[in-house]
Amino acid sequence: MTPQSPPRIDASVHVFFKDGADLRRHLREPFRSRGFPDPDVAWYSRPGPKYAEGTDGPDGSHPGSDPALVGRQVLDERGFDYAVLHPMSVAGILPDWHLGTALYAATNQMLAERWLESGPYADRFRGTVRVNPNDVEGAVREIERWRDHPRMVQIGLPVQTQAPYGRPYFKPLWRAACDAGMPVAFHLEMGVGITHPPTPSGPTRTYSHHAAYQPMTYIWHLLNMIAEGVFQEFPDLRVIWADGAGDMVTPFTWRMDTFGRPHLEQTPWAPRMPSDYLRDHIYFVHGLLDGPGEAEYASEWLRMTGKEDMVMFGSSYPDWQTASPQDLPSGWSARQRAKVLGGTAAGLFGIDRLVPA
Amino acid sequence: MTAEPAAERPARLARGREHVVATVGEIPPGERMIVPIGRHGVGVYNVGGRYYAIANYCPHEGGPLCHGRTHGQVVVDDGNPGGAAEVRDGEFIYCPWHQWGFELATGTTAVKPEWSIRTYPVHIRGDEIVVTG
Amino acid sequence: MTIDLQHATRTAANEKAAEKEQVRVVDCDVHPVPKRGELEPFIPEPFRGLFAQRAERAGEMIYYDAPDYAHAYAMRTDTFPEDGNFAGSDPNLTFRQLIMDAGSDIAILGPTNGSSGQTAEELHALAVATNRWQDACWLDPVNNWHQRFYGSIVAAMEAPEAAAREIEHWAGHPRFCQVLINAEMRPAWGDPRYDPVWRAATRHGIPVACHLGRGRFNELPMSPVGFMTYNHDLMVSYSMLAANQIMSLIFDGVFDRFPDLRIVLIEHAFSWILPLMWRMDAMYKAQGPENGLKRKPSEYVKDHIWFTTQPLDYPEDKLELTNALEWMEADRLLLFSSDYPHWTFDDPAYIVKHIPRRMREKIMFGNALDLFGLPGQVPALAGQKRVF
Repeated sequence: MTPQSPPRIDASVHVFFKDGADLRRHLREPFRSRGFPDPDVAWYSRPGPKYAEGTDGPDGSHPGSDPALVGRQVLDERGFDYAVLHPMSVAGILPDWHLGTALYAATNQMLAERWLESGPYADRFRGTVRVNPNDVEGAVREIERWRDHPRMVQIGLPVQTQAPYGRPYFKPLWRAACDAGMPVAFHLEMGVGITHPPTPSGPTRTYSHHAAYQPMTYIWHLLNMIAEGVFQEFPDLRVIWADGAGDMVTPFTWRMDTFGRPHLEQTPWAPRMPSDYLRDHIYFVHGLLDGPGEAEYASEWLRMTGKEDMVMFGSSYPDWQTASPQDLPSGWSARQRAKVLGGTAAGLFGIDRLVPA
Repeated sequence: MTAEPAAERPARLARGREHVVATVGEIPPGERMIVPIGRHGVGVYNVGGRYYAIANYCPHEGGPLCHGRTHGQVVVDDGNPGGAAEVRDGEFIYCPWHQWGFELATGTTAVKPEWSIRTYPVHIRGDEIVVTG
Repeated sequence: MTIDLQHATRTAANEKAAEKEQVRVVDCDVHPVPKRGELEPFIPEPFRGLFAQRAERAGEMIYYDAPDYAHAYAMRTDTFPEDGNFAGSDPNLTFRQLIMDAGSDIAILGPTNGSSGQTAEELHALAVATNRWQDACWLDPVNNWHQRFYGSIVAAMEAPEAAAREIEHWAGHPRFCQVLINAEMRPAWGDPRYDPVWRAATRHGIPVACHLGRGRFNELPMSPVGFMTYNHDLMVSYSMLAANQIMSLIFDGVFDRFPDLRIVLIEHAFSWILPLMWRMDAMYKAQGPENGLKRKPSEYVKDHIWFTTQPLDYPEDKLELTNALEWMEADRLLLFSSDYPHWTFDDPAYIVKHIPRRMREKIMFGNALDLFGLPGQVPALAGQKRVF
């Protein structure tokens, strides 16, 4: 690595507790004795393995739960300098928001102690503060609790909500994120809970349909946040859609600009053209289903709508759709590839050099 | 309704010079008249005693701009229930097709000034409204 | 004045009776609405009485309102006829503004008479009435003297068996060229319960078109993250409903069950189909033919699905649109539409400029002539605008 080149950053690595008992050990009563679903319970289960081969932890512990193994596979074997860890959870879709907040607090504690403050890779891991959108005051307190931790670099929120994130009662979350100087990453919650059906036409009949459709859920949040003026009111807010489908931002931006032009009269709190709110606000983790793959126009497509400055490589390790740098389109320019593989993430997370935080 | 010229297809007036388009009384405040200047005509508006003239052609899809409704501009106003207020009543024309709005005085939009439409100088000479177009 | 013009045009048409004109623009989304009291005689009882009672004292029903709604009613404001009826209620005015002045040579009518119904039976009754009204008030020899209007067999997907019977009833009518369903019904279209509709349509070789209905409950798309706030975010996200219906049709094997089924998505926008095809193909590649699919998802799209051009969404750099149209093979996917008389109207002369030259004939008329089996020539009209 030359001094000028940015660090290589895997912007989305999924981490887990070792098992249910491990999670309960991190919970205090009365929550330790409560009932809640396991993250691997799914209405739609993939026909085939759920996790990438060889990611099981020692002694049968959950894939993505052992820091040494994850560090070796994600950083050493794939040649990355840093990994942003995003704990997977069910807490954000539980009906009892007190329980959800307690689960997130336990998750954050585990992440800090086990991954960011100890072990051979601690100086190369960065963390996500998971907070509960169903408990905005509690979420703000949790952000306050972790904002000064040197290795916590982003806030994590579930994609599935009962109302879109543009609604005004979420504002304290954006204020707290801006005050903490952290971007907000949104990822699909695992497990089962109180969610709306995954499509406007209800449940799907197949896993293929479900797994290809659900990453696009962010579109509703993004449209609503723009029209509700979230990015106008919080010019420092940066959001990361961590399930992929960044390729969809191009047609939906065209649509929102074209259709939205006369609607701006209805939303003076968002007076600019919708596309003006993308730059420096919107980021994506690249997904394995994102196009166009090996097309000759891959570079041009990435340039359109400014996606080349939004998309970041994230492996989603240890998911079955774990991505590798060789999965990225070969048609991208060297400059685009460098941005995606770390340049953009380095700026976003403030990871500039190979200096331990 | 706003005033319309009587004739269906009057002859086009020559461009680039002064046109006496009406007498002051013929376009009362809040009204407009479409006069045959240029290819698509020009809307001459009286907004509270101030006169404006703007091309009757929307740069978006070519809609008959001056057949739309004039009203003000919506702004944030936290003091108002609902958080918005309309200001500068009557100073903007909104296309009857897609509701794109243009400022009568300048022909520009608040959103993207480069999307603008031609406006014409208007002055009053005695009892006459004179448009230079 | 409308009558005079109609008379004058008709006389001119008679004079040129032998003269035919090539169809250059087929407009696949035109909205007729009944004049006040015009639909009611066609509604079968007991639903006629029920609807009348329900309408008592019921005024405006909009939520998610388009700009300046209280004055424009989400319409092109110059399309309201002088008799005080609603925009799109006067066949002569539609003929004059759309066929004569804008240059749509053929207009395919897609009535969306709302969903005042609360049950499948009520919605079916409304569909029956809409079809009888279209036949009598728009497609009849008097109002369609110019032979430029074609209609839609409106079918209630909520009642698939009854919808299939309705398709059977009208199939063969020379002026109904498509089945028209609403887009919102749950579950998605891959569910086998809808097979009777696809079976009836394919038996008669009629494409099935789908328009958004914007009703309540089952007729309003509910996002996975709750309701949108404005007409703006609602209508933009409406495309996600169509995207899901396409994925359901493909992954649930509808085109394998009905290899002749042809689907037209009206007013759902279309540029999103490009990344959606990549997405579906990538999943197919990763998961294999989980459901016995015989082909790549994008191949089903290109052989079975068409999109109307309105709303045409474009970037600031028009070259990006041109590229996207080439990459998606838009000449296999698109059908021109105006959406007259709605406020989102796209003028054919405006649309044609955005379409790469080599695709223009297919998108503006060729695809529609083939898909709907329409005549390539129609009686000429003196003074009609020719778009390109």
